[in-house]
Amino acid sequence: MDIHTQRNNGTLIVKVESRRIDSSNARSFHANLEDAIQDDDTGLVLNFSNVSYISSAGMRVILSVLKVLQKKEAKFAICDMKDSVREVFNISGFDKIVNIRDSQDDALTVCAA
Amino acid sequence: MFSQDVKQKSKKAKYKILVVDDEPDLRPLFLQHMRRPIRSKTYDFVFAHDGFEALEKLKTEEGIDMVLSDINMPRMDGLTLLERIPEVSSEIKAVIVSAYGDMENIRVAMNRGAFDFITKPIDFKDLKITVKRTLDHIEEWRKAFEAREKLLLLQNELTVASMIQQSILPERFVTDGSYKLFGAMQPASNIGGDFFDVINLPNGKVGLVIADVSGKGVPAALFMMLSRTVLRSVTGNIEEPGEVLEVVNDQLHEDNESCMFVTMLYIVYDPNTNEFVYSSGGHDPPLLVRSDGSSVQLELTDGMALGIVPDLKYQQSSCTLNQGDSVVLYTDGVTEAINTDEEQLGIERVREAFKSKPAMSAKRSCNLVIELVEDFARGMPQFDDTTCLVLQCKELPAL
Repeated sequence: MDIHTQRNNGTLIVKVESRRIDSSNARSFHANLEDAIQDDDTGLVLNFSNVSYISSAGMRVILSVLKVLQKKEAKFAICDMKDSVREVFNISGFDKIVNIRDSQDDALTVCAA
Repeated sequence: MFSQDVKQKSKKAKYKILVVDDEPDLRPLFLQHMRRPIRSKTYDFVFAHDGFEALEKLKTEEGIDMVLSDINMPRMDGLTLLERIPEVSSEIKAVIVSAYGDMENIRVAMNRGAFDFITKPIDFKDLKITVKRTLDHIEEWRKAFEAREKLLLLQNELTVASMIQQSILPERFVTDGSYKLFGAMQPASNIGGDFFDVINLPNGKVGLVIADVSGKGVPAALFMMLSRTVLRSVTGNIEEPGEVLEVVNDQLHEDNESCMFVTMLYIVYDPNTNEFVYSSGGHDPPLLVRSDGSSVQLELTDGMALGIVPDLKYQQSSCTLNQGDSVVLYTDGVTEAINTDEEQLGIERVREAFKSKPAMSAKRSCNLVIELVEDFARGMPQFDDTTCLVLQCKELPAL
């Protein structure tokens, strides 16, 4: 799965290029994210502006990445979520463990805190 | 030389090569040139003087990997031998030794399935390369064959796993007659992560569960079995759905290194009062369908998917059914099914379907949902299981 990365003051910003994150590409999404995260990253912002669907396989990737970041005390936020994806986070309760922000700037503020 | 030959047989070499030639001087020449691979137990040679004897050797000697054969021989020539080798085994590869420039015979040999050819007089350096190339090819082929066998075995095990999974789902829905139940699960692949269950509780009430494990395949299937077992062990002692999910969540969270989770909706229904209490662990709320086909999605109780964070509280909510009302439980494989335009089915299309066909039995309601998904998603590969469980209060007489 294609992701586009950049860094801002120690925070890794990952823009997901796929429209769907499901069991067909969750594995490569996970691998690409793990490769992108460096030891000295203090935060991760996932930009979901292109994503219109995420399945439970995709949510599992979010959960494992969250656990990795928590272990190294790094911050994590997702921004630019479409309503359909936001609903999946609401129903599954993931909105309680993941910072969700409307804009990438807001998400960066969360990670800089 | 002969004693060496006998020694070879007592301890097996890696490859056995049958050399077929009516020229008696060939044998010592071979053993001389090939003494190194023979000594290192890489090659073992057996000899025959014509095609007829060669066929006998192939039938009686165990484990011949390749044949190196002359063409012109008494009784049976090399080209006839080529045709008859597959009678013994299709795995044996043959290399033909021909006169230099005898393109006609070489073409016939290749067309009859020879793997390669060398020319006379034999250049042993070339022969060694040809033998190695042939045996490498055989080795590759065997590895591919082995991999395929393993894959078939695995496929077989997955089929059994799928059968076990399907068999733990309730098939007969026995009730006291005041309500009806029906459920179905369509796995997207061999084995799925969805399940539903019906649990008869001690006080005459009935527990209904529908759940969806994250991811697919074997890990999801194992976590699904675990979730079902944990839930069943808890429901015997605790009645309140919110408390049940609380305990199941904590138990699933323990040792959950692989970050699996399950969304689960648990309902306790009392057939005496027609009231049900439900709690959701990150699962879609139930759809209440009235006997006139109108429907409402019940409020989402604020609970997180199970197995992620320990020590959580799960809210619960309740609702009372009227005669003919149905509660439809489903997994996101229903609402998130996509059609060829990549649109999601969505809950509104499910509600419209019920609106157009009111007052159906639990079984027909369940099948309506499953068929709606099938029709909608026709022509698209589905990545998610489709599961639906319907409870209907006092089924209406058939129309």
